[in-house]
Amino acid sequence: MKSFFIACFLFLAVASAHATPEEDRLALREFFAQRFPDMDLNEMINGLYAFDEGAREQWVEMEDFPPYEIAIEDGEGAFNKTFANGKSYADCFENGGIGIRQNYPRFDTESGEIITLEWAINQCRKDNGEAPLPWLTGELAAISAYMAYTSRGNEMSVVIPDDPRALEAYESGKEYYYTRRGQLEFACENCHMQSAGNKLRADTLSAMLGQATHWPVYRSKWGEIGTLHKRFKECNSQVRAKPYEAQSKVYRELEYFLSYMSNGMEMNGPASRR
Amino acid sequence: MKRNLSTLIFAILATLVFNTSAMAADEAEYQAALANARQALADAQQQVQLWTTSEVLLEEAAEAAASGNFDLAVEQVNEAVLHAELALATAEREKKVWQKGVPK
Repeated sequence: MKSFFIACFLFLAVASAHATPEEDRLALREFFAQRFPDMDLNEMINGLYAFDEGAREQWVEMEDFPPYEIAIEDGEGAFNKTFANGKSYADCFENGGIGIRQNYPRFDTESGEIITLEWAINQCRKDNGEAPLPWLTGELAAISAYMAYTSRGNEMSVVIPDDPRALEAYESGKEYYYTRRGQLEFACENCHMQSAGNKLRADTLSAMLGQATHWPVYRSKWGEIGTLHKRFKECNSQVRAKPYEAQSKVYRELEYFLSYMSNGMEMNGPASRR
Repeated sequence: MKRNLSTLIFAILATLVFNTSAMAADEAEYQAALANARQALADAQQQVQLWTTSEVLLEEAAEAAASGNFDLAVEQVNEAVLHAELALATAEREKKVWQKGVPK
C-alpha cells in the first residue's frame, strides 16, 4: 500500500514537472492576459505596435506602401521560376506551396529533424540539383516572404506529433528561450515576457506571443528583408552571446517552440518593423 | 657614505632589471597562452554558447602582440579564457533555474 502511494506521488511529481506543449501555450496566454488585462492578445502579432500607439500610427501609414512589397514580388518571381530539371518549388510543397506558412516549422518523422520553411526551400533546391541560397537575406528571404504572403489570415498550426524526438526538440527550444546567456545574462524571456511593452532605450519590446507569425520581416535598421534566424543571431549578439549559425539545430528547435506558442494566432507575414 | 649610496643604486637597478626580465612576456609565452586559450574556448563551445567578448579579446591580444606588447597580449588572452569560464558557470547555474521563468 505504501509503495502504491509513493508511486502515485512520483507520477504526479513527474507529470507536474513536464507540462505538455499545449499546457505551456495556455499558461503563456494566461500570463499575458494577466499582464495586459485590457489588451486583445491577438494584437500581439503586431509586435511593438501592439503597445506603442505613436509608433503604431507611423507603421499603419507605412503599410500603405510597405517596404517588403518588392520582396514579395521578387519572391513570387523566384518561386515560379523552374529549375534546370524543369521542376519548381511548387513540386516540393503541399498545395503547391501556397497558404502553408502556418504549418512550419514541422517535425519530420523520417529524419527526426525540425524543418523550418527556409530549410524546406533550400532542401527543395538541393533535391532538384540547385545550389542552396544564403539563409539570412536575399532570394531565400524573398521566397519565404511570398509564401508567407499567400498564408496571410491563416492560423498558426504547428504540430508536435506523438514522437519523443519531437517533444525533445520542443523542450530544447523551450529551455533555450528561458535560459540566460551572454555577458549581459539575458534570456529571451527577460525581454519578451517580463519586459514586454517596456522601453529598452528607444525601442519598445514586443511580446513573445505572436512573435513567430509575421516572418520574414523588413527591418528599417537592416534596410532589407531578413529571416527569423537573422533576428535570432542579432538578439544573441545584443546580449553578447556568440550567435549560432542560421538554421542550426539550436535555432530550429527554438523556432519550433516559439512558433508553437503562437498557435491559433493569425499569420501576418511578411511584416515591417523598425 | 658614497660607497653605500652606489651599492644601493646598483642593488635597485639590478632588482629592476632582474624583475623586468622575469616578468615581461615574450612571443613564445603569448603563442603558448594563445594555443591554450583556443583549446579552452573550443572545449567550452562544445558545452555552451560563449560570450562574444572572448573573440574580441583574442583579436585585441593579436593586435597587442603585433605591436610587440606581449604583456598586454597575454593578459588579453587570459581574460578571454576567463570569459569562457564565466559563460560555462552561467550555463551550469541556468541548468538548475531556467524553469523558474516558465509560466505555470
